[in-house]
Amino acid sequence: MALFTFLNGWLFASMINAMQMRVSSRSLVYNFFDSGWFWMGFFILFPLITMRLFAEEKKMGTIEGLLTAPVRTTDVLLGKYFAALLGFLVIVTPMYLFFFLFEAITGEGAAFQGGALWGVGLGIVIVGIFNVALGTLASALTANQLIAAMLTYVFAMLHYFLGFLHKFGVVPGSAWTGGMTYFSTTEHMRALSGGLIDSGPIIYYVSFSVLLLSIAFHVIESRKWRV
Amino acid sequence: MIEVKKLTKRYAGRTAVDAISFEVDKGEVVGFLGPNGAGKSTTIRMLTCFLSASDGTANVGGYDIYKDSIKVRRHLGYMPENVPLYLDMRVSEYLTFRAKVKGMRHREAKRAVDEAMNICSLDEVDRKMIGTLSKGYRQRVGLADALLNKPDLLILDEPTNGLDPNQIRQARELIKRLGERHTILISTHILSEVEMTCGRVIIIDRGKIKASDSPQNLIQRLRKPGEVLLEMSGDASEAEKKLAALEGVNQIKCLDTQENWTSFSITTDSNFDVREEIAALMRSENWKIRELASRAASLEDAFVDLIEEKPGLCRSGVSNVE
Repeated sequence: MALFTFLNGWLFASMINAMQMRVSSRSLVYNFFDSGWFWMGFFILFPLITMRLFAEEKKMGTIEGLLTAPVRTTDVLLGKYFAALLGFLVIVTPMYLFFFLFEAITGEGAAFQGGALWGVGLGIVIVGIFNVALGTLASALTANQLIAAMLTYVFAMLHYFLGFLHKFGVVPGSAWTGGMTYFSTTEHMRALSGGLIDSGPIIYYVSFSVLLLSIAFHVIESRKWRV
Repeated sequence: MIEVKKLTKRYAGRTAVDAISFEVDKGEVVGFLGPNGAGKSTTIRMLTCFLSASDGTANVGGYDIYKDSIKVRRHLGYMPENVPLYLDMRVSEYLTFRAKVKGMRHREAKRAVDEAMNICSLDEVDRKMIGTLSKGYRQRVGLADALLNKPDLLILDEPTNGLDPNQIRQARELIKRLGERHTILISTHILSEVEMTCGRVIIIDRGKIKASDSPQNLIQRLRKPGEVLLEMSGDASEAEKKLAALEGVNQIKCLDTQENWTSFSITTDSNFDVREEIAALMRSENWKIRELASRAASLEDAFVDLIEEKPGLCRSGVSNVE
């Protein structure tokens, strides 16, 4: 958590420096969340948070004690999922506070607008909801934490890069471009950091999270009948 | 308490548990015995609702393992094989967590944890990390966990696996004490344990039940040829001839000769006691006896007899009880 905050603090400071040197037409919020550096660090969080959830229980055998206790598998799954999500939120909150700190110190409210900040906050939460669900599924799939972490990272990055696919060799404005933009985390974040809240991405991330978690549920239950 | 009907578990190309049926009544302490890979753990995992059966059904504590799986688990204390625990938790912390998982509220959980730690003599290690505990203590933590919800039924999978002889003795005594208040199903492959703690034994091999009876009955029904050990002094070759002429004697083996003492192993037909005849023979010939003993069959013999495949030999009476 300290490391993550430190890295983002550094990034934040460099971003301010860069913006002092070169005039930007975008807000600080937009630039911060549009930088690839932020996302690289951001996506490392999910495997770290989620890799232990089920993989460790499987490896240690404690899953047997847990699932023979009088609790439903859904309870175990959701308990673990929301605990991980809470962990994620606790880790990213300080980063979010940078902006308030910046405003308090410089009195420079003009660098960003309130709407943009709330939009981005919402964006971080929904992207978190989705990727923690992805990590939970990956952890349920294997007894090896390292494999769970790699699966989470690779798929989180793949999903992220899906948003860039439309930039490569396709006609702008085609159905393909439009479709791909729909999956693009960067596009969503651009809209949100402009203060534009669209229900589309929210429904997209939340419904995908539900799908991933229900797959995770069936993966855990599959131990019962797997041959 | 447990009622199993034609319970079956099939894995790809292999039947781990093959349509077994048995019952365990309230108050019984039953040993579930079998060689490694016989299907003990699989059966237990089905009873504790960790695995589903491919076929058949079971009632545990009056509840169906499919329809009322939560209720089954609520009335059950289960200690899995190798006692998996969260090694980075403290003993009391772990037990409190487990009590809460089992649906207890804060105060109730605290009381249950104190009581379980008391029964399992864990008070002195309650602040220790589980990872630093010896295997014997970990086993007791697992047992305390199983006791938290005051279950009528305890299912213990290999509770003394990996313990040293002293710890095994302690664990056995604890189990014996628990047997006064709980119905217990213990899976194990350690025979002396069963002989000392269990009122009844279910022997399972290759997914099928081979026998189900009290240890004493199993030994009695074991129709193994009798064996008598004799150590005598006198004319050994003459003695061998005369012993062989006794009724019921099958085979005589000279084991050892030291000075003028000779020991024989005398194999007789099953359930034939020739000790009196031997004593009479020794007396009439004026030979001296230093030892005359029949080697009692143990549960181990019964177990080996049931489990071991003896090609070409008619399996003895016990093995037909399926």
